[in-house]
Amino acid sequence: MQALDIRPAELPPDCEQLRAEVRDFLAQTLGDLPPHERARNWSGYSPEFSRALGQRGWIGMTWPRRYGGGERSMLERYVVLEELLAAGAPVSAHWVADRQSGPLLMRYSPEVLAPELLPRIARGECHFCIGMSEPDSGSDLASIRTRAVRDGDGWRISGRKVWTSAAHKAHYMIALVRTAPASADRHAGMSQFLVDMRSPGLTIRPIVNQLGDHEFNEVTFDEVPVPGHHLIGAEGEGWHQVTTELTFERSGPERYMSSTQLMLEMLDAADAENPHHQLVLGRLAAQYATLRQMSLGVAGMLAAGQNPGLAAAAVKDQGALLEQALPDLAHELFGGRMPPESDLARVQRHLVLATPSFSLRGGTREILRGMLAKGMGLR
Amino acid sequence: MNDDQQMIQDSAARLFADAAGAALNTQVEAGGFPQALWQQVEEAGFAAALAAGDQGFGLTPDQALPIFEELGRHRVPLPLAETAAGLALLACAGHAPLAGPGTLIDAGPGQTLPLTADGRHLSGEAPAVPWGRHAAWALVQLPQGDIAVVDLKDAAGLSCEPGLDLAGLPADRLRLAGVAVRTVLPAEAFGIALPLRSTAALLHAAMMVGAMEWALAEAIQYANDRVQFGRPIGRNQALQQMLAQAAGDVASARMAVRAAGLDFRLGDAQRAARVDFGVAAAKVRCGEAATRVAATAHQVLGAIGFTHEHALHFATRRLWAWRAAYGADAWWAQRLGAAAIRARAAGFWPAMTQRQFSATAAE
Repeated sequence: MQALDIRPAELPPDCEQLRAEVRDFLAQTLGDLPPHERARNWSGYSPEFSRALGQRGWIGMTWPRRYGGGERSMLERYVVLEELLAAGAPVSAHWVADRQSGPLLMRYSPEVLAPELLPRIARGECHFCIGMSEPDSGSDLASIRTRAVRDGDGWRISGRKVWTSAAHKAHYMIALVRTAPASADRHAGMSQFLVDMRSPGLTIRPIVNQLGDHEFNEVTFDEVPVPGHHLIGAEGEGWHQVTTELTFERSGPERYMSSTQLMLEMLDAADAENPHHQLVLGRLAAQYATLRQMSLGVAGMLAAGQNPGLAAAAVKDQGALLEQALPDLAHELFGGRMPPESDLARVQRHLVLATPSFSLRGGTREILRGMLAKGMGLR
Repeated sequence: MNDDQQMIQDSAARLFADAAGAALNTQVEAGGFPQALWQQVEEAGFAAALAAGDQGFGLTPDQALPIFEELGRHRVPLPLAETAAGLALLACAGHAPLAGPGTLIDAGPGQTLPLTADGRHLSGEAPAVPWGRHAAWALVQLPQGDIAVVDLKDAAGLSCEPGLDLAGLPADRLRLAGVAVRTVLPAEAFGIALPLRSTAALLHAAMMVGAMEWALAEAIQYANDRVQFGRPIGRNQALQQMLAQAAGDVASARMAVRAAGLDFRLGDAQRAARVDFGVAAAKVRCGEAATRVAATAHQVLGAIGFTHEHALHFATRRLWAWRAAYGADAWWAQRLGAAAIRARAAGFWPAMTQRQFSATAAE
């Protein structure tokens, strides 16, 4: 199956120097971050950390210098990302902007929005959220109803977005909306807009998750005015833009590393002579090692200008299986035997509550598998 | 894949494509040996594919592994992995190659083959020796880490009781009563902890990838061809989900084998920890994937796939046999897990990026 044929990627030798620099930086800036905070992994939020990372040039690493980027390679960027994730660094403030919003603006508004916003993103000072899902449109993204209508030189957006992570902390949203009514071609008539989160008519309502955390929001648009130059790319191009963005969203090491802190806690708690511990942790180690190679391979495909769409979906599927297995395996090995306030127990409790979302976010498992099935030639 | 690798893989595929099918497997199961095909395989240089230096084909291990993927994919019954592993170990130890098919006698349950007191004979028993009755020679893993080289053809003191493994391939009980040892290859020559088991495990992992890919392709083809309730059964979402997960398993197994192939090296003690890590990850992932892929393929292929007449069992029986060979996935997982626990949290991520646990951890 050609599309799932991932080649091992080779990291250039000077990546190890970069890796060492990142590890030193993390040791200094995160030295006393407790394990249960690291357990949040890429959902941890710290604008100060994002700014410090930006100062080191580790946000927007691959972007052109004229946008505040470092013109470094995709593989160098990959090394920085995996080190941040391994340490459980609080990266969420800049993560979306770095991963997809910045690249989107660079590609579709290179002379207007990118020069204005990318340098701020690269400094870790400008945070984005994603406006895609709606109450009636989750996996079926093409069924969205939020619409933008022309108003003079600009537009007015009305509708509702949901599951918008960090909308309450973001400066901007990239919103997918309808600029033409739905027709026989379901994917036609959608566009993306840059929305300033302080715009009039915008209401942000918190959605608390089962951890008791406020990450998600519902964002209501009541004829929110948006200037004409905030239309990203061409009108009607929204679906095409989103499918590219989703490939970026699915391609990174965060798709298998989210439960890393629990792996670390289990290794510290385990008994090296216990065959059951050896078996469970050995299987996990083999899966981690292999997924790293697969994830790195996808980065290599991106670096080579290939479309890793199906490969990224397979890696995300396998990655979520690993992430979700960890809390239940910790229960199997240590359940009922962890002192309740131990790091192991606290990290396990956090991840038990968090992991159900890992096969829902960024592409629901069943949808991804349907895509894979189609890509495999199943009728 | 670079051009050389693709060429080698294509030439192996061509050679094996004609041999794929029931006839050869039935012949072997009845006690025959595919002599003509073996000769072609030797002439193609495949038996020497892993041997280093001028004894070999000039291939790096990662370049040679596609040959074994094709062997698995085409369900070809030949002692190619055993012979190739044996020739690689001989070459590594500076010993001249041996002619004819060879086999391996790994340490394991029921195997008792210590050297006699004079160090020049072997006495004992080895159950389930792959291709024992057809092999001209065998490499025997001795308890202290050395490897004994034994001629089997017309050997005095040797008796062979034929048997078959789960895959229907020859697996014979050998009884040795003072069989002469040609030479003993010292453990230090190989650099790595378990030279015989590791080399054979890696080759079998590659064979498993090929067999899994074939089984999955058969299942997809069938799902598209078989019509029930007025449409191909492949339209059924339950089957699509199972097959998609199986494809992910195969992609994972394939990557683990490729990564292990890139790291594999005999004769270099500096590489020992990395070789161990790679082979362990590959054998674990391939065993896990094989278990699920075999089950999925049978589930999709339904009743027809369960028959002897359908070729599926030639692949799935190999998967079930090979997942247990040269260390089952659980054995390798325990080895890797012990190293991971000893390295603790602080050692884990560095081990992932270096693709090895620290040398003291690998025992």
